[in-house]
Amino acid sequence: MPNPAHATGTDLLVLHALRCVGFAGLARVSEAVGLPEPDVESELIDLAVAGLVTRVPGDFGGWGLTEAGRAADAERIRDELDTAGVRTAVTRAYEDFLVLNPELLDLCTAWQMRSVDGVIAPNDHTDPGYDSRVLERFADFHRRADAVCAELSAALLRFQRYRDRLADALARARSGALDYVVDDMGSYHTVWFQLHEDLLATLGIPRH
Amino acid sequence: MTWIHPLSAQTEENANVLGGKGHGLVTLRRLGLPVPPGFVISTGACRAFLRDGQLPEGLGAELAAAVSALEATTRRRFGGPGRPLVVAVRSGGGVSMPGMMSTILNLGLTTEATAGLAAETGDLRFALDSRLRFLSGFAATVAGLAPESLEAVTRRGSGGEETRLAGAIAAVEALIRERAAEPVPDDAMRQLELAVRAVFSSWHTPRARTYRELHGLSHESGTAVTVQAMVFGNRGDHSGSGVAFSRDPNTGESTPFGEVLFGCQGEDVVSGGSVTRPLSELAEREPAVWAGLLEAMGRIEEHYRDACHVEFTFEAGRLWLLQVRPGGLAGRAAVRVAVDLADEGLISRREALLLISPRHLRHVRIPRIETAGTLDVLTRGLGACPGVAVGRVATTADRAARMAAEGPVILVRPQTSPLDMHGLAAAAGVVTARGGPTSHAAVVARSMGRPAVVGAVDLTVDVASVQAGGRTLPEGTVITIDGTGGEVVVGTPRIITAPTDPHLHRLLAWADEISSGDSGRDHIERLTAAHAVLLNPR
Repeated sequence: MPNPAHATGTDLLVLHALRCVGFAGLARVSEAVGLPEPDVESELIDLAVAGLVTRVPGDFGGWGLTEAGRAADAERIRDELDTAGVRTAVTRAYEDFLVLNPELLDLCTAWQMRSVDGVIAPNDHTDPGYDSRVLERFADFHRRADAVCAELSAALLRFQRYRDRLADALARARSGALDYVVDDMGSYHTVWFQLHEDLLATLGIPRH
Repeated sequence: MTWIHPLSAQTEENANVLGGKGHGLVTLRRLGLPVPPGFVISTGACRAFLRDGQLPEGLGAELAAAVSALEATTRRRFGGPGRPLVVAVRSGGGVSMPGMMSTILNLGLTTEATAGLAAETGDLRFALDSRLRFLSGFAATVAGLAPESLEAVTRRGSGGEETRLAGAIAAVEALIRERAAEPVPDDAMRQLELAVRAVFSSWHTPRARTYRELHGLSHESGTAVTVQAMVFGNRGDHSGSGVAFSRDPNTGESTPFGEVLFGCQGEDVVSGGSVTRPLSELAEREPAVWAGLLEAMGRIEEHYRDACHVEFTFEAGRLWLLQVRPGGLAGRAAVRVAVDLADEGLISRREALLLISPRHLRHVRIPRIETAGTLDVLTRGLGACPGVAVGRVATTADRAARMAAEGPVILVRPQTSPLDMHGLAAAAGVVTARGGPTSHAAVVARSMGRPAVVGAVDLTVDVASVQAGGRTLPEGTVITIDGTGGEVVVGTPRIITAPTDPHLHRLLAWADEISSGDSGRDHIERLTAAHAVLLNPR
């Protein structure tokens, strides 16, 4: 039997979600960690008391990390990686991720822009044949992406959330909610982009 | 020979056999233009390889013979000793699939050949640099390593230039030994065989498959492989590489346009990782190369009767052409080129009309910065989301969100992460120093409908200012960005939209003459009516 995957505590889950999602309202943080809003809000308040997160009030307000929160997250996420002994496994999965990343960006670009008669123009989504070809390629891509997310989840359970969110975004897009390809805050690209940020943060690799 | 054809003026096979790249090089040869000697392994060999899982019978012997012939032509030895023959191995199907498939340059640089190249040129740094480029290309293509993993090990290392290169070479070799089934062979013929297999196999990578699915291309046709004697743009000061359009792709104006990198190989130009120089700098620094390039593009235009795009390298002051593609201009530039070509008598007015599709006219409507006057250009990058945006510079997402309350802002970032999303949402447009048209930043900008310029490589973003071209702009400075042409301009230049374009009006007047139509209709209707007459003559 392989060791069960390491499970992250709720406080670190919430802190780290803000690190990867960026400045966000309660609903988005709750969606990112996959826990009910009241639970997440309670954690956020505790984190705010500890000086690690801060809330900007108002219509365009939301939650964000403080400098201290960013530093605390980096340290705790690094400790988690080493305590669980999964640095090698996550590094390997990150390299697999990097092979897939250009393909996903190609697919997103193909969804947004289309080349016809040698002219590249915005895809106006009036050709269902074209859109469904792109979505079929997304589905094909997802099978490979899911395998990488499975490797990650086997190492650190928190990565399972990306599996669920990516699968959900794809299912919604294929059932006609086209915003779930790149536009929505829960879209396939948005989740993938956060996964990219999470891998960099987890492995302590700076965006250069 | 069955599978291999020389890159010579006498080769008669078409692009389906030689690939678009190989066929273009044969055309250049026929035009008497300088092309490095080499040969093409046909798409048929690729199909056989993909069908049977092994190189077709007889290819090995043909490959050995073709390499011997190339050794004789260049008076060099593949793998050394003595003056080494080094080759470039490039993919190229019947229809171009830019960036989708593999290329391995500097192949044949075994340990011995690298020493031979250093002895021949008296330049150890150059020889090591070339060997490192070979290993990186081989690792990416044959061993399937991600560029980021390679960069992480090659960026390390310290000491003098030669020590650093030697360290990076050892690091890449170690990485390949760790990850791949076998180490990099120190045998040039074996390297070539593995490279050919890798290029053939790259036909079926998911990215290439996706590209074909989306562009309606067949999965059956396969890629050709061109193998050419390497010309070295990284060999000293009088060497370099570049890309050139015979006419300005932004405006269609009849002045050559492009980029050049001195002392570098071509992949550095197209990878977008380096600060390139405007093509016109060639005129001052290498007048003979410049003259040769102008002459070549003139001859190519006459042949294709269209604007063209070339990739070139110059080694020790000598020009070589590595690729040619006719056409490729869009929107307003395509319209202007069609009208100019008709005025120059290279094509008829009817042909000019047929060069333009309704898609080009739709593209013409996208606002652009007027480039005719004097522009205070801060920097240039790649257009990633069409449209023009004007606003004050903000260097962080937080400040963009705050400053947006008092009027439009342009978010300027080294690159974007999810942490920048709220700043992007608040901004009128975005500029990034890194990344290409398919980066996260580009995808997000398009999803939000924000004009975007990415990959403005000479741009540095500081705490409260941005720097480019030796200038510093404080946060709050008003700039204008063009997400089609990639210009970042200080101030508020004139912005043009289609109706003021004189070339478009002339083209449409020709359309009305042909269709006997009136000029009161929509541009696209006027063009389509002319096409209907031209394509269905009674």
